[in-house]
Amino acid sequence: MHAFSTMRSLAAASLIVCPALLGTLPAVHAQDVTLEVWSHEADEPAKVAFRELAARSLERAHSGVKVKITWYEKNPLFAALKTALPAGKGPDVFYLEPDQVEYISAGYIIPLDDLVNWNNIEPWARKVWTHNGKTYGIPQEAYTVELYYNRDLLKKLGVALPANAQFTQAQFLDLVKKARAAGMTPISQGVGDRPYPGAYLTVEALLRKLGPDDYQKLFTGKLSFADPRVVEVLQWVKEVVDAGAYPKNFMTLKLGESHYYFYTKPGALLLPMGSFYTGRAFVPEDKGGQPPDFPLGIMQFPAMDRGACNECKTSTIGASFAINAASKQKQLAAEFLNAMSTPQMGKMWIETVYLQTGIKADVKSFSGPHAAYFTELMERQKGEKYFIGQPRDMVTGECKDTFAQVLNSGFPGGLLSVDQAVGMMNKACYKG
Amino acid sequence: MFGSAGRDAAKVEIDARRGGLGVLLAFLAPALIIYAGFTIYPVLRTFYNAFHAIKPQGVVEFVGFGNFTALLLADPVFWKAVTNTALFTLVATIVDVVGGLLLALCLFARAPLAPLLRVIWFTPVLMSYVVVGILWVWIFDYDWGLANASLRWLGLGALEQSWLGQPSTALWSVLFAHEWKWLGFNMIVFLAALHALPAEVLGAAELDNCGWLAKLIYIIAPMLRTTIVNLMVLSFIGKMMVFDLIWVMTGGGPLWSTETVSTYVYKRAFEWNTFDLGYPSAIAVLWFVIILAFVAIVTRALRQRDRLEF
Repeated sequence: MHAFSTMRSLAAASLIVCPALLGTLPAVHAQDVTLEVWSHEADEPAKVAFRELAARSLERAHSGVKVKITWYEKNPLFAALKTALPAGKGPDVFYLEPDQVEYISAGYIIPLDDLVNWNNIEPWARKVWTHNGKTYGIPQEAYTVELYYNRDLLKKLGVALPANAQFTQAQFLDLVKKARAAGMTPISQGVGDRPYPGAYLTVEALLRKLGPDDYQKLFTGKLSFADPRVVEVLQWVKEVVDAGAYPKNFMTLKLGESHYYFYTKPGALLLPMGSFYTGRAFVPEDKGGQPPDFPLGIMQFPAMDRGACNECKTSTIGASFAINAASKQKQLAAEFLNAMSTPQMGKMWIETVYLQTGIKADVKSFSGPHAAYFTELMERQKGEKYFIGQPRDMVTGECKDTFAQVLNSGFPGGLLSVDQAVGMMNKACYKG
Repeated sequence: MFGSAGRDAAKVEIDARRGGLGVLLAFLAPALIIYAGFTIYPVLRTFYNAFHAIKPQGVVEFVGFGNFTALLLADPVFWKAVTNTALFTLVATIVDVVGGLLLALCLFARAPLAPLLRVIWFTPVLMSYVVVGILWVWIFDYDWGLANASLRWLGLGALEQSWLGQPSTALWSVLFAHEWKWLGFNMIVFLAALHALPAEVLGAAELDNCGWLAKLIYIIAPMLRTTIVNLMVLSFIGKMMVFDLIWVMTGGGPLWSTETVSTYVYKRAFEWNTFDLGYPSAIAVLWFVIILAFVAIVTRALRQRDRLEF
């Protein structure tokens, strides 16, 4: 009797629980396939539209296929990936950046050499994702590190931009002092939510002073920060900082806020930023974009005295996509990557995102409201030698953390002397 | 309609306490499975990870106490984080308890506008730490923040500074924001405890011409001892694990001046370009043991030996 009642209770519980559980599951048909994609840049409408368009395009080409893109902000995305992938889970395709080599060494993403149509990708962009002869990510976003300025404010200071758009280091320091004396904020920059923008001025100066080879050695632990050339650059940056280059709220100002600070309130003379500047600036003004008549200009970072490569410039790959090694539909995932990487999509990227790309795109002339900007951006690339990658692509672990705390915030924030910065960077990064 | 035998049978059917092991398991299983999956397993896994190095391609290597030795002997950031966490915990616990008690006494004494003050003081408790963090980052902003604007308005412009941008003020600024949010919680708990005190004891003290300070020290505080100890322990545990407010306001900077053990664990786990959860797990395990030991010591030290009767 007791056993019977127990069984009846269990059966009753099952009757309640099972339909409830089944009700949560979608009806699955044999031909239905869902490709899961996790992407960063939820707050950039042009990029969202671009990737959603590729998703719909793939769905049209394959009946029964659904591409589900989950939109994240960067940090939550990587936190989710770092827990999902070791458990053999996660999406089929996900957003990644080239500095995240740990995904390759851990075997969580697969080589794409035989899966993707590389004819549509710029070889230099592919190289960024090539490790030990294999390519692991498809480079979508490319950008250069630029020095934006407000033409009207520069004119107001009575300073003319040289023909090559590049001040010397002494002229640049003088410009900063003039701007501060005129009550302007010379450089809009903040490190409130990113581990790199505060270091733009320093690392671009280091690149020009040292040249690409020694610059790479510096951030791979093979060259000491006590090298006299490095110390010279840091001393110059210290002078710029002490001249009041950065806003007083440098430490808490966020990346998006630094854009607004530059072009709207209170306004600043300069903004060192990746050319992904457009993602925030070229949206309607009521959504935080720059005013339509904002006098935006682009100059080169200053030339260093006895610089080994004053025509050098940082170019790198940002947004990229990789395929999860645990994905059960790798071929379909690769087709999604191909759908995002056609020449037509490359053209669309440039025309709607206003940013360079690793996709081959035949754009001979620019039209639309920001054509002049893109023409000037291309002008600033003429004769430049590119160093592909940024320090944060080269450093890991303790060195990466120290880079964020010292070169990104403490040193440009005026909290450290040159000697202290050299000592801390060497302790964390130099392996000599 | 039913005979007595029938009524007894129906009773057996509906009495859950006589349901037997199967029924108990059927109803307990969902909760147990969730508890085991989301609490027990992660804790055990963290302990396991702490003694291993988790290498690429799923390779797990036993390292014994290697992770613990490294963090105790060769990791200055860990010790910086420990110092900051200890300072934050000590100061915040004292301010939480003493401040909460003072606010509660103010309301208990029916200060003018007490109902309004109760709402004002308690409202921040209802806000999430993320919202509070963003709010206070704005208040502490150098250029347009309320803190510096108030100083300028008061003619104290010389004192304005980058509150979150200076190592000397950043931790204290975060602490201030924390107290703004959390004091109201302790106030409500103390207020409830004060209202539960026997009126005749307080009345007798007043009849004996006992002053307010003496009443607080010799009558009220001893009778609130259990509440004080509980709030201290809860506060202590919460502060030792402080993460969200720091993360939102400073991210551990500038120059690690607000780095806490929890923010450091997160950074080591998710921001160091590694999938090795061994080292961060070792920090988490060590910190768990330290918290457990401190809670045991504090509870034992403050335990009431003679139960008050009232």
